[in-house]
Amino acid sequence: MNRLTQSMILILLGGAVLRITTVSTTYLNYVKPGFRPFLIAAGVVVLALGVIGLVQEWRGAHADEHDGHDGHDGHAHAPGVAWLLTLPVFAIFLIAPPALGAFSAKSEEAQARPVAAAEPYDALAAGQVNEMTIGEFVGRAWGEGADSLAGRQVRLTGFAVPSQKKKDRWYLARIQIACCAADGVALKVAVLDADMPPENTWVEVVGTWKRPPSGRLEPGTIAPELTVTSLTSIPQPVEPYE
Amino acid sequence: MSERVEVEVAEEVPPPEWGRRQPLGAVSPWIFVVVVGLLLLGRLVFAPYLTAPALQAWATIFVAICVQALPFLAFGVLLSAAITAFVPASFWTRALPKRPFLAVPVAGAAGAVLPGCECASVPVASGLMSRGVTPAAALAFLLASPAINPVVVVATVVAFPGEPMMAVARFGASLVVAVVAGWVWLRFGRTDWLRIPSRPVGHGPKWRSFVEAMRHDFLHAGGFLVVGGATAATMNVVVPRAWLESVAGIPVLSVLVLALLAVILSICSEADAFVAASLTAFSPTAKLAFLVVGPMVDLKLIALQTGTFGRRFAARFIPLTFVLAVVVSMAAGEVLL
Repeated sequence: MNRLTQSMILILLGGAVLRITTVSTTYLNYVKPGFRPFLIAAGVVVLALGVIGLVQEWRGAHADEHDGHDGHDGHAHAPGVAWLLTLPVFAIFLIAPPALGAFSAKSEEAQARPVAAAEPYDALAAGQVNEMTIGEFVGRAWGEGADSLAGRQVRLTGFAVPSQKKKDRWYLARIQIACCAADGVALKVAVLDADMPPENTWVEVVGTWKRPPSGRLEPGTIAPELTVTSLTSIPQPVEPYE
Repeated sequence: MSERVEVEVAEEVPPPEWGRRQPLGAVSPWIFVVVVGLLLLGRLVFAPYLTAPALQAWATIFVAICVQALPFLAFGVLLSAAITAFVPASFWTRALPKRPFLAVPVAGAAGAVLPGCECASVPVASGLMSRGVTPAAALAFLLASPAINPVVVVATVVAFPGEPMMAVARFGASLVVAVVAGWVWLRFGRTDWLRIPSRPVGHGPKWRSFVEAMRHDFLHAGGFLVVGGATAATMNVVVPRAWLESVAGIPVLSVLVLALLAVILSICSEADAFVAASLTAFSPTAKLAFLVVGPMVDLKLIALQTGTFGRRFAARFIPLTFVLAVVVSMAAGEVLL
């Protein structure tokens, strides 16, 4: 592989990274929002490396032969493995990977524990709808603060996932990521008294927590339940993960 | 008349580029054009069919691993190139103790100052070696820095609220593994096992050899990162997590299983504490093993190390690190957790 090809691979890769971070919000399907400045910086660096290489190549074509860009001295020929750097570019443009959804939430039958909140949860207001993340809802339902949910209306946002064990059961799910989609864990809330929308549809539900018959759930066991009063389909949020 | 004269002149004086650099990558730019053509064509023709959920989940995780590692890789490569181009070799002989035996722990502890994940540390360690730092010391740095830097320590404290000993145990165990691995390599390692990447000795301005080293390292390490990312994504989609729960209660086996899971998942060391915390069924010692093994041995690191230092090195060093990491975590878990 000569320097021209190397430069073009770098330009392609840098361009793809800048494409998903600057002109669209696709990067949110893969990483936390906080990554954006670092991704843009890395994209610019990679793109610049490629452009510098092109310029050198173009200038080198008119300069002396000493430079040896056609691979006679060791470093100018990059290893063939560098071609693999086009794979993510192909994946980004061809498959255009969407945010993790029902497929990933389904394959994890065992419930994951949400990343614990550092401080105890606040009391919820009575007589109004409290907006919260599924992580917070599950965290409250499983922990000491379960009573804080009693009788309170909450609004949750997530996508629909059918249960694999019980036929008439479905979950409102959302993937929680700490850094990138590879570390995503699915958080699920069982939805009662509402028909399941098509799998993977994003919905906003308003309802109240249903106290389990045993009184309290062990953290990391079964999904808490929510008796739903209203259910609205919504477009996928810009930030698909919690 | 005048027309004919012009034609003759043109034939006598060929354009300057003739015969000069004909073979200039006569082939690969064309491969490249094909690649771009495939991209455009594929977007129109194939994209509507590439929608199987498993494939999409795989692609999401694959792209996520690559995208997430990219800034760290770029940073590591930048730092490594800067070390080779701008820091004189004499600096390292002054900064590190003369005796290799002492240089190993000092280099390991120095890992605490590089706030990156494992993708950054491989190119930096190779840059250090090519500047004459004892390989064993550079290896101690390579193992320690992704596990004990401040960002990772803070992430661990946040992920385990109310369990500060987890962060302490992780810091201590990782440093011990790094130093011991360095010493073992110093004592038993043979120089011909390790391929120290040769550096282009730039003739001409320093920035030029800087750019050259950066491009070379980035393409090289990046290619291997993609191998690791693809393997990790496959494992992530194929291996069901449910079977993990079934071994959670068994003492030694559960530690081994989480250590293997850390290898397979290849999660960035700055995020793995959150994943460990979500594995509620497992004992603290098993979680500690996950946190100690992950930054030192995982699929993407195996690919990166093999690519950078050679197969003979990786075949010896990776098992050594893995065994050390598991044993030390078990001991640390016994004492501290």
